[in-house]
Amino acid sequence: MSRSTRINGSPVVPPSDASLVECEPGVYSILHAGTSFEVYVTENCIEVDGHPLSYEIKDPRQWTRSAGLAGVLGKATITAPMPGKVVRILTAAGHVVTAGQGIVVVEAMKMQNELKSPIDGVVVKIAVSENEGVAAGAVLAVIEVAG
Amino acid sequence: MALPRKILIANRGEIALRVIRTVREMGLRSVAVYSDADRAALHVRKADEAAHLGASPSSESYLNIPKILAAARHHNADAIHPGYGFLSENAAFAAACEDAGITFIGPSSKSIGLMGSKTSARRVAKAGGAPIVPGTEEGITDAAEAETIANGIGYPVMLKAVAGGGGKGMRRVDRAEDLRSLFDSASSEALRSFSDGSIYIEKLIENARHVEVQIFGDHHGNLVHLGERECSVQRRHQKVIEESPSPLMARHPGLRERMGDAAVKAARAAGYFNAGTVEFLASDSGDFYFLEMNTRLQVEHPVTELVTGLDLVRLQIEVAGGAKLPFAQSDISLRGAAIECRIYAEDPANSFFPSPGRITSLAEPSGPGVRLDSGVYPGWTVPLDYDPMLSKLIVWAATRDQAIARMQRALAEYHIGGIRTNLSLFRLILNEPSFRAGDLHTGYLDTLLKTQPEFQPAPPAHVPPIAALALNQQKKQEAPAAAAVPSAWLAAGRAEQLR
Repeated sequence: MSRSTRINGSPVVPPSDASLVECEPGVYSILHAGTSFEVYVTENCIEVDGHPLSYEIKDPRQWTRSAGLAGVLGKATITAPMPGKVVRILTAAGHVVTAGQGIVVVEAMKMQNELKSPIDGVVVKIAVSENEGVAAGAVLAVIEVAG
Repeated sequence: MALPRKILIANRGEIALRVIRTVREMGLRSVAVYSDADRAALHVRKADEAAHLGASPSSESYLNIPKILAAARHHNADAIHPGYGFLSENAAFAAACEDAGITFIGPSSKSIGLMGSKTSARRVAKAGGAPIVPGTEEGITDAAEAETIANGIGYPVMLKAVAGGGGKGMRRVDRAEDLRSLFDSASSEALRSFSDGSIYIEKLIENARHVEVQIFGDHHGNLVHLGERECSVQRRHQKVIEESPSPLMARHPGLRERMGDAAVKAARAAGYFNAGTVEFLASDSGDFYFLEMNTRLQVEHPVTELVTGLDLVRLQIEVAGGAKLPFAQSDISLRGAAIECRIYAEDPANSFFPSPGRITSLAEPSGPGVRLDSGVYPGWTVPLDYDPMLSKLIVWAATRDQAIARMQRALAEYHIGGIRTNLSLFRLILNEPSFRAGDLHTGYLDTLLKTQPEFQPAPPAHVPPIAALALNQQKKQEAPAAAAVPSAWLAAGRAEQLR
């Protein structure tokens, strides 16, 4: 039952012979092999000397959603990353789309943002209509892998 | 006319703070204004006085002329600085200040009116002797008429909203058969954004640079230029990086003087005073055309301040108080190189989606040649309601190469936690060979982004283990807190026992 730490998607073993101090909450000074590192740890990112890194902690005691679920289930759900208004729908149910193709345009913070399909597939559902206000996390469209 | 004593800043965010700082240096008093969303904003904290305007939507607050004038009267402010955006280029606002006997720190409402409409600005600039891009001088609302004109000019052409700005109502048209549909969408977007659907048509100058000239005039007929800024690094027609001098100037001796002269002529034709910017399209061969005039202080004014050594806001306030410009054209020279990056709450890796929210941690760059004009602090929640710009990071160094190295150093020191930012975009661009060579054009960044670059390049191999070490320590500390939260299974078990 040990935790495993993944940095930028790969498992990583931390050095055992480093000196570490927490200087401020979430800010660490690490000395290793004579080299000095400054590390910021936040909820979604770690920065080491200006290099941003993504992280993931696999704790077998906790059930976590896998980021690769879309690929496994053959389905991708496009959700609104923040509250906004649907200004345009660029495709329709039944249409074949490719990864990176725009599906819905949402206006938020005075900017129009195109939400793209993460996979190649078929649009099975457009869950919103133009001019509709949407909350963060609202489902906008569902794409299924074709075939 | 006399130097104002108390200045209301009709704006928010970093520019409000930037103006407040100069006001304080001059020994004057500042009045901030704020909406519901901005009660805890940094500009309110740093001002001498503050007035609540209303609800968060701009129309209820920062765009509401009666409320702003009422706040100015209530606080006995004798001048208003409009900043940029919001009401800064609104002739009716400048006129309302003039009528209320409050000094508007900027040009006259008449100059704003003349240069605010792009078609009228083209006529004024042309009459003043500035070269202009071939195109229409009147706004058009009819697609058929637009088609005839575009065929006459020759493709590709640009469609632009007469009342436009910020890339709204702007379309590139490459083929005659696309004109009508693109015209209609540009026109409807312009109508929605500016309540004016008229569009003008210009010949598209391929691979053009955006080079603009800062001009400054007083109320005594003195008008000078303060050199140029290169603003070619743009995404969807929005500036991302600006610098002064433009790398183009080293390649064409005398070009700065010619462009400066054309800018002064255009401004003079509009009877202009105070700070203004004349934008040009420039080709690598050194040809240039008048694009439009911005009748306000620009977002990117700090790069001009760093290479000229001037405080443009101080000059604005002094000139608005009736002072003569304290220098002549021959006293102005540019020294070294300055670069500015506009730091936004948006995620480059996710189609630049805005990322508002709470800033949980913040470390700001400092040290030699670094200036940070910021409007945020740790704990501040970036509101949804306004432009998501957080700060402007500006550096100065003796040469452009050194300025790039300094900006890279400053970016590495900059940490903003809790929200996504576009810091990674600048790390990418500053490493990019064409940018480093100064080979820029307004399509440069969009072309670079089409290659789907990696915004989070792989770090050196020794870095991830160091990250893992810090992460494990952090999680160890969080663990006791997590254990204090009762387990859902335990709670369910107890609930069962209670049955």
